[in-house]
Order: sequence, then structure tokens, then C-alpha cells
Amino acid sequence: MRSSRYAIFMYGGMLGVPLLMFITLVALYYASPYAFSVLPALLVIALAVYAVTGVKEIFVHGHYTNSGNWIVAGAETQSGKMPSGRHGERVEVVVNRFNSLSKKFDSITYKFRATKFTTVLDALLSIKSYQDNTLSMRYNCRMGVCGSCAMVVNGKPVLACETNLLGSASSNTVEVTPMLGHPLTKDIVPDLNDFFERHKSVDPTLYRKNAGEKYAQGKEFKQSKEELDKYLPYSYCIMCGLCLDACPVVNSNPNFIGPQALAQSYRYYKDSRDQKGKRRLFDMDSWDGAWGCEFAGACSKACPKGVDPASAIQMLKGSLMKSIAQESE
Amino acid sequence: MEILDYDIAVLGSGIAGLSAAIHASVESKGKLRIAIVSKLHVMRSHSVAAEGGISGVLYPQHNKDSEKLHAYDTVKGSDYLADQDAVDVLVKNAPQAIRFLNNIGVPWNRTDNDRIAQRPFGGMSVPRTAFAADKTGFFIMRALYDELIGHGNIDVFHEHFATSLVADKGNVHGFVTFDMADRSVKAFKAKSVIIATGGFSRIFGFTTNSYSNTGDGTAMAMRAGAALKDMEFVQFHPTGLVPSGILITEASRGEGGYLRNSKGERFMERYAKSKMELAPRDIVSRAIISEINAGRGLKDPVSGLEYVHLDLRHLPKGRIDERLPMVKELAMKMLNIDPATEMIPIRPVAHFTMGGIHTDINGNVVHGNGSLFKGLWAVGECACVSVHGANRLGSNSLSQCSVWGSITGKEAAAYAQRAAPDPDRFYSIAQDEEAHIADVIDNKGDITPYQIRDELQGIMGRYMYVFRNMKGMARAQQELAGLRKSVARMHVADKGSTYNTNLRDAFETINLVDLAMVVTHCALNRRESRGAHVVIEHPKRDDRHWLKHTIAYLSQSGVSISYLPVKLGEFEPEERKY
Repeated sequence: MRSSRYAIFMYGGMLGVPLLMFITLVALYYASPYAFSVLPALLVIALAVYAVTGVKEIFVHGHYTNSGNWIVAGAETQSGKMPSGRHGERVEVVVNRFNSLSKKFDSITYKFRATKFTTVLDALLSIKSYQDNTLSMRYNCRMGVCGSCAMVVNGKPVLACETNLLGSASSNTVEVTPMLGHPLTKDIVPDLNDFFERHKSVDPTLYRKNAGEKYAQGKEFKQSKEELDKYLPYSYCIMCGLCLDACPVVNSNPNFIGPQALAQSYRYYKDSRDQKGKRRLFDMDSWDGAWGCEFAGACSKACPKGVDPASAIQMLKGSLMKSIAQESE
Repeated sequence: MEILDYDIAVLGSGIAGLSAAIHASVESKGKLRIAIVSKLHVMRSHSVAAEGGISGVLYPQHNKDSEKLHAYDTVKGSDYLADQDAVDVLVKNAPQAIRFLNNIGVPWNRTDNDRIAQRPFGGMSVPRTAFAADKTGFFIMRALYDELIGHGNIDVFHEHFATSLVADKGNVHGFVTFDMADRSVKAFKAKSVIIATGGFSRIFGFTTNSYSNTGDGTAMAMRAGAALKDMEFVQFHPTGLVPSGILITEASRGEGGYLRNSKGERFMERYAKSKMELAPRDIVSRAIISEINAGRGLKDPVSGLEYVHLDLRHLPKGRIDERLPMVKELAMKMLNIDPATEMIPIRPVAHFTMGGIHTDINGNVVHGNGSLFKGLWAVGECACVSVHGANRLGSNSLSQCSVWGSITGKEAAAYAQRAAPDPDRFYSIAQDEEAHIADVIDNKGDITPYQIRDELQGIMGRYMYVFRNMKGMARAQQELAGLRKSVARMHVADKGSTYNTNLRDAFETINLVDLAMVVTHCALNRRESRGAHVVIEHPKRDDRHWLKHTIAYLSQSGVSISYLPVKLGEFEPEERKY
């Protein structure tokens, strides 16, 4: 679990360390150009401080709980922009609606009065109910846990139900677009059947050598707190599809299985109750599997639940290399 | 119209439905062909919103718990309206249900001894609620979904909206749906049908429930002749987030949270001195509304809703992050409140419908005439097997869904293996329903489903909330009758065939109105206060006249009502004090 802390070294997209380095460099240059000779030592100190203190939350998408769990990224990443604005503030909501007949987008602007609590989903539902009954979106729990309402709001991939409307507005306009990394059905509703097939293809079912054991009366597979922590961060996946939508690799190579499925493969690999062992790893040992990932890190940034698929894939690669090395010994 | 032929068709994809399908598959050793049909993507059902945990006596030797104690707590919590034989089934099978969920991958919180951790919950004498952070329902759903992927004989039908059962003379042979993707009508023909469509708390506007909880299966079963039971009992959860109604889990009080009024007092002292904040939900909800009515509430200027505070500021450092991360996430994202330093505004919120489709102890649906339906089961919140009585204890719902998921799955599998061939009339009945769907979309009118829904929720919120009175309920009944008439003028603006949520909403609205009428009718008849049903004019529980279940069914004169005695057992009704 602790290895997630070093995820920033393993893929791009996280600005923390480069930023820290840059600031140190600039500060040093202005202090005294001669100080460059002690630069390596200072960098080590800076990184040590970073690794030990809680400052890491500023840099990395998510945070640790006291039990060492890596979760609840979304709360921190969005809270800074939460309820602001006045009661009855006017907002223009531009919805880029996919027309299932013409296969083109119709951009339609709706005028809407928001309160400081209004979420993007609230606004869309209100528009549907009172302005345009034909508008379609997918939604259900409206509390960020069912994974239905993934979409792009002012260029940012989000769950509409946990995104504050006024907080997302720029010059009182909010533009809503469907995810474009999935096929589209209608308006802002993506077709996720292919996405579900990817998930299914990694065999995401807890495996026991004795299949009947799972259902046997009185049987309880034990697990320790430490064992739980190894896969828990990856079990928060709500299957919303935002990570696959964000992945630049899958957009150029559709055969690449994608971050969601790979993270789930790793989740079961690390679950101490699962007995499929290294077969899970070797199933991912291909260019369309783990090796297809190019460290873009876009998936982890897009994930609204802090699952961090990018780190899961790097762990998967690491475990694979270790296993391959062991096999060849 | 396409006809899909299965041995078992499960309608609904929450914890109850998925459990039923999996256990039916295991029972038949993978031989039966099973369909799961859901109006949602199957992993997105409302069960994902269950937070606090699932009850069950896992390790009696370690925490001095016993099945008998669990049964007693449940019966007392139900205000003695639970059937004690059903409660017995619940408490005996709940531990196995939790172990099964463990064995398919639920990431339970753990104790230092590698056991499944359990926390205190309202109305439970000892900590017996197993939990996975405060996303227990979500984790169970993901484990069940991943498990069913491993069953090759289970086919999943995402986003198919069911409009009617195909029933013929007390036999059920399937149901008719339209596919959200292209509005094509598909009829599922099956030897065994299991309804697992969840509750109907969306009859209220201020509710914890997902938008999908419109009681479609319950309404469909009623129209097919099934009896409904104890429909007047709707649970109001004490801690709904203001203004959205999003659930703040009872575990927040189980982990030590306080409730405070505008003066900062822990007012539960006045209402449940020994249990305080962990009294059962009906009692805590009434306490909150009493405080608000006495002028000790606060008011949200934006929504106008009055509320009290949930205080978690004193919890040990790290407790919120470890055990209540979702409470933190929701408070921060929705209100920009950090629960470690600020109090959370909450008020009672429609949460769970104790009533539902009347079933026997095995989940087999009972007809309005008292006989059992052949080939039809109901399970989960849509059903009323009578374990919750007049008030459900927190964390008993997930065990109910899991336990009866397993029971109905096995029953349906056994029936499907011996059932006779389906009747020829299936096609003609299904065709009639296809025509009905076309009628709804073509109906000319001047009122939208959303206008009807808003009016409905207004009526229910005004007259059928935590405290009810005879005059108000009579008004509600009258206004609902008028509203039901306006359904004939309902207009579907979207005529398209792709992902037509307007059409779906129209069907859901009809279901909501029909169920709200039954709720009100049953409530108006019960002249006592028991559990979640409180009538100001009849403030006391009246066991002499009302220790009985309300049975409602459609007849030629509308909704007819009869009564059925409660199955008592070891525990005699006594005064309910906490």
C-alpha cells in the first residue's frame, strides 16, 4: 500500500516533485549561483520532507487515512470550489447533445437559476423536467456512488451529481458534453457495453481452486488488516468510465484493455482470498494488457473516487517483471 | 416483439436480485438459464447507496451476542409487528449471508484478529453490524456483480424497463420490457420470476433514495393481482442531509456522533435516555421533528428546510477517515463542510418502505384472494416478508436482501426444474402490453409526468411525513384521487426511440401515484401509532385492535383492505422503551 506514495515517480501528470525542484532551483539561483554545488543534497532533503510530512496531499491526487488507505481523493480535489454564489444566480447551461439520427452534436443553451447548492445533475434534471422533456442523461443515486453520471463539464471529466454548478461556471456559463471516449447513444448518454466487456475480460471474479468453497456453509476466508490494505484502494471503482475516456492510449489503440479493467485485475491479484495467483499477472502480460500503458496518468487524474489506476498498472508491471525474473531463474 | 426464453428471470439488480440470481445458479449447479433484467446498469442499483452495514451474529462467543438477542432487538424495533417466524429465519441465516459475501470479495473492515469488524447500530443491543467503511452496500454490489460475471449461465440485460407482468389465472410466466437503447419491446418468458425492484420512497420529494426507487415491481405485482402488506409504514431516517436529502449514515451515530438542537443541547436525553442517539430510527426522527416544532431547530435560508445538527467534531482523530469516509466526502462536496470541525445540518428523510408485496416466509408472492402465485417470488425492499414490521432497524435491510435473495433463488430454481411448459397465451398477453406502451407514448394531453410527480411529492410531504393526522390523511387521499385522474392527460413529449427517459418517467410516475394511494389508504385506516406510523389523534399503540398486518389489493371497487394476524412467538408485546 505504501508504494502508492511513490506513485508520483512512476508516471507523469503529477506536478508535485518537478514543481518542488523548480522552486528550489529558482530560489537557489537568486540566493547564490554557487549554491548549485549543494543542490543534490538539498533535493534529497526536500524529498525526504515531502515523503515524511503530510504535504503530499497537496501534490498527489488523494490522501491517506490513518489506517494507511489511499482514498477519498475527490473530496479534497473539489472542495475548494464548493458552495459559492448567491441564491437565484443565473447560469447558462450549454448542452452538447448527440443526435442519434444525424450522428452530430446539437449545442443547445438553457437558462437556469442556480442556488449555491445546485449540482450539475440538479440543473440537468430541472431542465429536463421544466424546459425540455426530451433531454436525456444517465443518473441514479445523485451521491457519487452509482457511477451513472460521468460527463465532461467545462472541459473537466466529472460525475455531474457531485459537481457544484456555480463552482464550475466560467463567466456564468457551464458547458456540458458527453464523454467522447465511449460510443454515444443519445444526448449526453454514452454506451458503456464495450467498457463492461473490458471489465469482464480480466475475469474479475474471486477465484478459489475449490470452487464450491465460496458457497459452503460456515466457511469464512480470513483476511488481516494489512492484507485488506493491499487491494482496498483499487476496490473503490464505481465503473463510471471516466478513466477509459481519459486514456490517450486507448483512444489510439482500441485493443488496449484500458485502466479500469487493469486496475480491477490488480485488485483481485492482491486480494489474499483470491487463489488465481500469478495467472492473473500473466493474463495481463501483453501489449494490449499492462504493457500498453504509457504512464500518461490521465486515468488517475480523471478518477472521481481516487482509485489511481495508473499506479495499479505500474504495480502490475512491477509484479510481472519480478515474476518473469523468478520464472527464468 | 422479441421473446426471450429463460428458466428464471430476475427483475431488478440490487443486492436482493443479484443474490437471488447467483444462488439460483449455484443451486442448479449452473444448469438453469437465468436472466437479470434491470432498468439500470445492473451494478448501479440503489443498493450501492447503503452505507452503514449488514447485521448478523457472526462471533457470539466474542461479543456475548446471540441469535435470540438479534431476534429480540428486531421484534422490539418493529414495534411487535414483525412476524417472529420470519425474524427467526433472518437471524439464523444472516451470519452465513455475510460469510458468503466475504468469500466473493467484499472488503470488510477487520479486527486485529483478522475477523470481520462489527459496529454498534440503532436499536441493536451489541455491536453486530458488519461493515466496509461506510460504503457497505456499494462494496457488496460490486462483489455480487463480479461474482455473477463468473456464472456463464446468467445473462445480464442492462437498461430494460419492465412495464407489466405476464400473469394468467394465478400463474406468472414472465414480464414485458422495453429496451432503453432503442425502445424495442422484449418479453421475458420464464418458468420462475423473481421481483427485486426495491422500495418506493420516491413518493416523497425529500428522500435518501436514488431516482430509480419508484416501486415499479410493487405496482406491477399489484396490478397483476398480488396483495400488498403494511404499506402505511414508511421509515424516515433521522439524518438526511439538508437540502438534498442525501443519506448521512446511522453509523455516524454508531461511531459516537451526537445530535444537537439550536441551543447545542443533546436533546435525545429527553426522548430515549438510555439509548440516546442510538435509539431506533422512528424514535429519533420524531425527536428531531418535536425539537423543530418546539422552536429549537435551525433554518436553511436557501431551501427553507428546518433542521438540527449532527455533531462529529468530538470523534477521535482519524475515526472519520477510517470508518466514515463517505460522510466526509458528501459533506465536503455537497456543503463544503468538514465534519471534523463543523456540524452537519440534517433532518428526517423518507428512507425505506417497510411495506411491499405480500409474501409467505419463502418469498412466494400471495394473491389478493389469499392463494399463492405459482412461479412468482418477491425479495428485498419491494417485498414484505414481515421482518421489519412497523420500523426497520438499521443494517437489517442488507441481511434481509441477502438472506431472502438466497432463499428465493433456491426456491425459484427448484420450481423451474419441475415446472410445466408455459401457456400459449403468453404471446397474446405480451402483445397487449406492447400496445399499451405505444398508447402511453402516443397519449395526447396537457400535463407532463414531472408536474404529476411534483404534485404527488408535495401531497405526501405535507400530509404523510413523520407525524400524521386524520384530517391531513383524508385530504391526501382526496387530492391523490384527483391526481390519479390527471394521469389520463399525461403527455410524453419525447417521441424518439433512443434512450427515451421521458417515456420511462411516465411509467414510473404512474407507479408512484398508484402506490402513494395505497399507502395513504392503509394509513388512514390504521387508528393507532405504531413504529413509523404515528397518528396524532391516536397517539398510543393499540395491541388489542391493531396487532395485525394491513393487506391491500386491487378489486373492482378500487383498493380493498383486509387484515392478517401477526405471527407472534417467544417475545410478547411489551412497552417499547429505550
